[in-house]
Amino acid sequence: MSDFGIVLFTLQVAAISTIVIAPFALALAAWSWRASGVTRTIVDAAGTLPLVMPPTAVGFVLLELLSRQHAIGRALDSLGVDILFTPAAVVIACAVMSFPLMFNAFRVAIDDSNARYFDIARTLGASRSAAFARVTLPLAWRGLAAGFILAWCRAIGEFGATILIAGNIPGRTQTLALAIFDRVQSGQSANALLAYVVVIAFTAVIASELLSRAQRRRLAR
Amino acid sequence: MIDLDVQLPLPRFTLAVRAALGENVTAIVGRSGAGKTSLLESIAGLRAATGRIVIDGVDVAALPPEKRRIGYVPQDAALFPHLDVRGNIRFASHDETRFTSLVETLELAPLLDRASTTLSGGERQRVALARALMTQPRLLLLDEPLASVDQPLRDRILLFLRRIRTLGVPMLYVTHQPFEALALATSCLMLDEGRVVAHGAPRDVLYDFATDVDNVFEVADPRHEPERGITRVTTERGLELALAHDEVASASFPLVVRISGEEIVVFGECPASISSRNVIEGVIANRREREGSVDLTVTTPEIIHVRVTRGAADELQLTDGRRVWLAMRSRSFRIVG
Repeated sequence: MSDFGIVLFTLQVAAISTIVIAPFALALAAWSWRASGVTRTIVDAAGTLPLVMPPTAVGFVLLELLSRQHAIGRALDSLGVDILFTPAAVVIACAVMSFPLMFNAFRVAIDDSNARYFDIARTLGASRSAAFARVTLPLAWRGLAAGFILAWCRAIGEFGATILIAGNIPGRTQTLALAIFDRVQSGQSANALLAYVVVIAFTAVIASELLSRAQRRRLAR
Repeated sequence: MIDLDVQLPLPRFTLAVRAALGENVTAIVGRSGAGKTSLLESIAGLRAATGRIVIDGVDVAALPPEKRRIGYVPQDAALFPHLDVRGNIRFASHDETRFTSLVETLELAPLLDRASTTLSGGERQRVALARALMTQPRLLLLDEPLASVDQPLRDRILLFLRRIRTLGVPMLYVTHQPFEALALATSCLMLDEGRVVAHGAPRDVLYDFATDVDNVFEVADPRHEPERGITRVTTERGLELALAHDEVASASFPLVVRISGEEIVVFGECPASISSRNVIEGVIANRREREGSVDLTVTTPEIIHVRVTRGAADELQLTDGRRVWLAMRSRSFRIVG
């Protein structure tokens, strides 16, 4: 696969994984927002866990869960679904590893949206979900978009968990990070791939930062 | 009828309010931290209080905020920053008739397309009022709506609040300002450390609470005398007053006016010649000593509160039952609404 093909594949799997986790991250962040005390601590810890675990350890857990030794792996196998060492495994690894970034960014964005507006919306007849959809989300959308971009960046750079459950199969599961690793191992130049990574990551991080600032400015008014 | 029996543990004390309120405007007064805002938030359903909140025979205490139909206007108005004025007002309902009527009552037409973040304090309060009233609330809660606006605007918003009073929506009105309570409320509830310490007519409840002695009158029946620079009016209880003509010439009556008791001069005998256009005879019903001053309650056709220095009170022998004459300049009256 050409360098451009590797870049395109990486962007695609990163985008798919980010889209897949977004509703879950949003739901968990909203739960954390309205929870208090121990419940909130547990929810926050659960959402952040993959961030503090070594990626290879996360990859190992995923490998165990998806293998035929585990009920989940056996269930998937009985349905004829093969996950390990496929592009789907890349998506799963990227999703799990980028989830904490998205969850934490979403949590901050929702926290910043000011619960007072949510409360006032409820006195105006809006149910919890309607108040969240009509007031909290529109106020937090810039922060949410920033979190989405950050998570996408993290997915682009994912390596440790991916190599354990998806391997490093050129043309099938090889992402940018894996290809760079491959080239360095074999003594080839990885400069071109590195340039792609730097440009993509830099652009995305700038966009994320601009959105975060816009969010803070808007809510400070 | 509104029947409250609300308990809510707060960091310093437990809010425990039990009161039966009428179908009108009840002012809630008390020092900062007395539990006034917590009480409103509990009634609105934004705090997990226990007890009963019975409005028109329905206990809404167990209902979520969206099912209570209780309008809440917080001190900062809390307009949704992502919506324009029209969007804020129509948040709860798209009832076109009600929208048009509220926009007209609160004079909001020129603001409808403005971003809510560009409004002044007074404009924000009016929009928040309209937004809350769109829900057709069975009770309206107002948390110091005039706290963040300056005096001229304050009087103007008070005028709008008096208009809303005519819509027949019962109101609970938290305020620090005795004159607001006097101008708007039909009953008054004083809180201290989460408990009701006084409940009754605003004048009675506020007498001890007032930091200044305010007199508020609703006046009507204007007789303009431009050549003499005055407009004669009559209060609800038949007291004749003269107001500055240029200040009320274009006002619509009935009008609410206010005069501070510190601006009223007391005479022991009827003054033969005086520039004040209002000289009213009355009898001292109550003398109360304060630090460095004396507050008098004088019975005329209206009850009038006056503050004089202790020296003047002793020199004139201003004691209960003493006949006195009160002089009030026509320009000392402020139009409240």
